[in-house]
Amino acid sequence: MLTIHLFNGLVYGALLIVMSSGLALIYGLRRVVNFAHGALYMLGAYLGYSVAQHSNFWVALLLAPIIMAVVGVLLDRYGFRLLQDHEPLNVMLVTFGLLLILEDLVVFIWGKTNLSLFTPDLLNFSVDLLGNEVPAYRLGVIAVGAAVALGLTLWLRFSRIGLFVRAASTDPVTTSMQGVNTDALSATVVGLGCALAGLAGVVAGPFLSLSPHMSSDVLIDSFVVVVIGGLGSLAGAFIAALLLGMTQAIGAVYLPEVSVLLPFMFMTAVLIWKPSGLAGSRT
Amino acid sequence: MGLARTGALTLLALLAGLAIPLLATSSNLLGMFTQAVIYAIFALGVGVLLKQNGLVSFGHALFFGAAGYGMGVVLALGWMPAEWAMLAVLLAIGVLAFLIGLVIVRVPGIAFGMLTLAIGQMAYLLASRARGVTGGADGLSVNWPPTLFGLPQSLLLKPATLFVISWVLMVLVTLALVLILRTRFGAITEAIRDNEERARFIGFATTVPRALVYALSAVVSGIAGLLSVFNTGFISPENLHWSVSAITLLMVVVGGFKRTLGPIVGAILYFVCKDLLGDWATHSMALFGAALIAVIVFSPDGITGALARLRERLRYGPLKKGSPP
Repeated sequence: MLTIHLFNGLVYGALLIVMSSGLALIYGLRRVVNFAHGALYMLGAYLGYSVAQHSNFWVALLLAPIIMAVVGVLLDRYGFRLLQDHEPLNVMLVTFGLLLILEDLVVFIWGKTNLSLFTPDLLNFSVDLLGNEVPAYRLGVIAVGAAVALGLTLWLRFSRIGLFVRAASTDPVTTSMQGVNTDALSATVVGLGCALAGLAGVVAGPFLSLSPHMSSDVLIDSFVVVVIGGLGSLAGAFIAALLLGMTQAIGAVYLPEVSVLLPFMFMTAVLIWKPSGLAGSRT
Repeated sequence: MGLARTGALTLLALLAGLAIPLLATSSNLLGMFTQAVIYAIFALGVGVLLKQNGLVSFGHALFFGAAGYGMGVVLALGWMPAEWAMLAVLLAIGVLAFLIGLVIVRVPGIAFGMLTLAIGQMAYLLASRARGVTGGADGLSVNWPPTLFGLPQSLLLKPATLFVISWVLMVLVTLALVLILRTRFGAITEAIRDNEERARFIGFATTVPRALVYALSAVVSGIAGLLSVFNTGFISPENLHWSVSAITLLMVVVGGFKRTLGPIVGAILYFVCKDLLGDWATHSMALFGAALIAVIVFSPDGITGALARLRERLRYGPLKKGSPP
């Protein structure tokens, strides 16, 4: 039985990896705590649902992140770029305003009832894992999480753009003085971050039902992951995401009262002890 | 503004409060106004923290709800009469907030916001889970005694009375805040807000004053919480959710946090607009989101800030070349 819980924890952790990496990337480049990230996840899920209604899941899996990437680029160009001289707190409030708008938009277009995105036929079978039956789809989710983690790490470490992203996250002014077009870079990264949120939404569709509440549920968890992992650090986010997924899955069964508090207690402890990750290493 | 002028404005405000129930005939309207005033007090609490400490709290619903839960639990256990219970609850909130404040006010910027979010969510989760004490997700009924301060409940729960009590409290709380912030304590906290390092170098202890402001903001939010639970007789974990704190923050920012009246304007505007929207009410949150974005982009001081600047412009005219600075 424990394996099943650990497995489910791994699945949710994988989802959080995809979500939180988007959040971390956006913060790293624009120093914006994107309150709307959960809403973007939700929008991606609902868009995926609509696309899947007309064609199939796989097209949705491809199309929804692309649409969200476009949304992300627009968000950066007409939102974050124009607000970059404002205080970070103000921009955070703007993203909160965006969250409210997006949540209402989703309800307006798709209604309040819970919707279901059905598991694609290709993955609709069970696999035997250490003596337990697990849905193959969930293995797919873990695979997606792993792919995103690996892909991002390799991209940032070995590609030219990855180098620019790392540089701009550390010191945007000097980076732009070196000749890097930081505005185009930010648009790319924010677009990527939003695409990741959309991807997470579509991937989550079949095993978590779609509801207008899905954005706030996952947003808080993403914040916890990103704070504990260190707001600019992707590797930290990956580890924290897995830990959070596991603690929640195991804790829900064995220590229900305490387990929900643990992530927040950790988050509080990290913020009090070492807020420097969030206070902005940028002076 | 001088003490005499402050006193005169307070008196005017109190009289206006007495006049409103006479003008507003429908009890629904009065009920809505009462809610607006209660949230105005809550917003004052969140706003004073932002104004004096420059700190954004996403978790003040903790204090708003704690007041309600505190009253519910104390009245259920029958430890003391309701009048004393209210004072005790507010005192407990103040002390708790001061202790929390001592630890968290040193955390800078966005981290503070995230921290308050975490603390607020912990409180929300605790309230949802602790069925034995707080009734869990079902909430808790608060059993007010039949008489309070000698007045029977039947009189106190009339819409007009509720409104007047809330309004008077709002005016008194505003007055108290204005007077407290005008003292040396207020000046010190403003100095710390503007440049904590420099204030420390000058010789001020920077943690205690900020923690005191945090405690003050918590007590004000607690007063609003007490009024709310008196108004409805019920408290549930939903009152502690971070979205409640965030929406109150929205009221503060839209109203303008730099002026003491800003949060009040924001809260009243929120409820009036929600009421005026009528059929469109389901979209109210999107409209407020849009309003928030508009305010931050065009007028970060909020509506009261924009009005103040308009007044300055009308009084002195736009700056002309060669005019004195």
